[in-house]
Amino acid sequence: MERTPVRRIPWDIFLTLLVPFLLGLGLGLVYSWIISPTRVIDSEPIALRADFKSQYRSAIAAAYAGTGNLPRAQSRLALLGDPDPIEALNAQAQRMLASGEIQQAGDIAALASALESGPTANTQPSPSTQIVSVVPGISTATLLPIQTDIPFLFTETPQLIQTQPVIIESTPRPTRTLVPTLGAPFTLTGQDTTCDTNLPDGLLQVLVLNSNGRQMAGVEIRITWDAGNEQFFTGLKPELGNGYADFIMSPNTTYTVQLGLGSDIASGLTPPACQTSSGDTFTGGIKLTFQQP
Amino acid sequence: MKSNRLIFITIALIAGIAMGLTYGWVIDPVDFFDLTPDTLRSDYKADYVLMVAEANRFNPDPGLAARQLAIFGSLSPSAIAASGLDYARANGFDDSDIALMQELVTSLQAWSGLP
Repeated sequence: MERTPVRRIPWDIFLTLLVPFLLGLGLGLVYSWIISPTRVIDSEPIALRADFKSQYRSAIAAAYAGTGNLPRAQSRLALLGDPDPIEALNAQAQRMLASGEIQQAGDIAALASALESGPTANTQPSPSTQIVSVVPGISTATLLPIQTDIPFLFTETPQLIQTQPVIIESTPRPTRTLVPTLGAPFTLTGQDTTCDTNLPDGLLQVLVLNSNGRQMAGVEIRITWDAGNEQFFTGLKPELGNGYADFIMSPNTTYTVQLGLGSDIASGLTPPACQTSSGDTFTGGIKLTFQQP
Repeated sequence: MKSNRLIFITIALIAGIAMGLTYGWVIDPVDFFDLTPDTLRSDYKADYVLMVAEANRFNPDPGLAARQLAIFGSLSPSAIAASGLDYARANGFDDSDIALMQELVTSLQAWSGLP
């Protein structure tokens, strides 16, 4: 009786070829991913660490304050890859205000305002300067799912351009303009008395809106009274809104409020006396709303 | 017979290593994020210098400009600005942009006392 031959695993081939190959593959990956990964050069602003992105934004805003060139600022902001550049600017303005960097916060808030109200937010401006750069012969790491050869364009919409040797197209520089205004002075559109026992006594709430009804962060509010004056800013309590600010008023004191950017003056503001349902009295508050016309 | 086997093992090992390196360096290299500005491509660096120059024209403050440029590392601010200026000249930036950057370089050199 013949026995059916049993198929045997070819251990010889397995041990001789596959195991060394897999071992080598593992060693190669460990070396190329961990021990000596591709050196990062020629990265793009989108890959920067968050704090450096903030500095980049500050530089963009400062440059915009100097040139008033909104399309250029927009194309630079686009390099950072923020999902909502305006929100990113507002948030940064708030952080900088909180840390006392008022000048830079003002520049950033001004840029955010210009982007919000600017008519070119999603339009195609005429190109200003177009720079296409390639550093030949240098390998680049794959950073993020973006093309490393995307040219650096100072235009509204970056275009993919084949980038072998350096191509430069220089067009006349945009006309230098003055620092943009933030629009017409704000008007006082609301002045309400608030009697809410859940709020602190004498709370003055200020809400600042732009012409589109969006809240504006980083707006200076000046309040004066007989014995002094103070300034405070919107956006320091982002949980209550980017355009919100508040101040605690003292009873029996009369205040005057105006926005630093120019606005109607809310004068004669005195914390009202309110009553609870049980007849107890307490000091109420005032809510002011300023909006660009 | 035994030496043949050793040769096969060595060849397979080397092939595996080569494949691993190719995959890790070329096909799917490490994705980097949270980078520092010194890794930026030259044109971005030059544009950053231009931004600082634009701001400096509006609000001349070499100290502030130096702090803004310091994110690029250990070179002196004037050297960083000069590097951006060189790039701008070599790559056909607008004359007005080059002039701004030149102003910045001069301002930083005067501020730091370094040529």
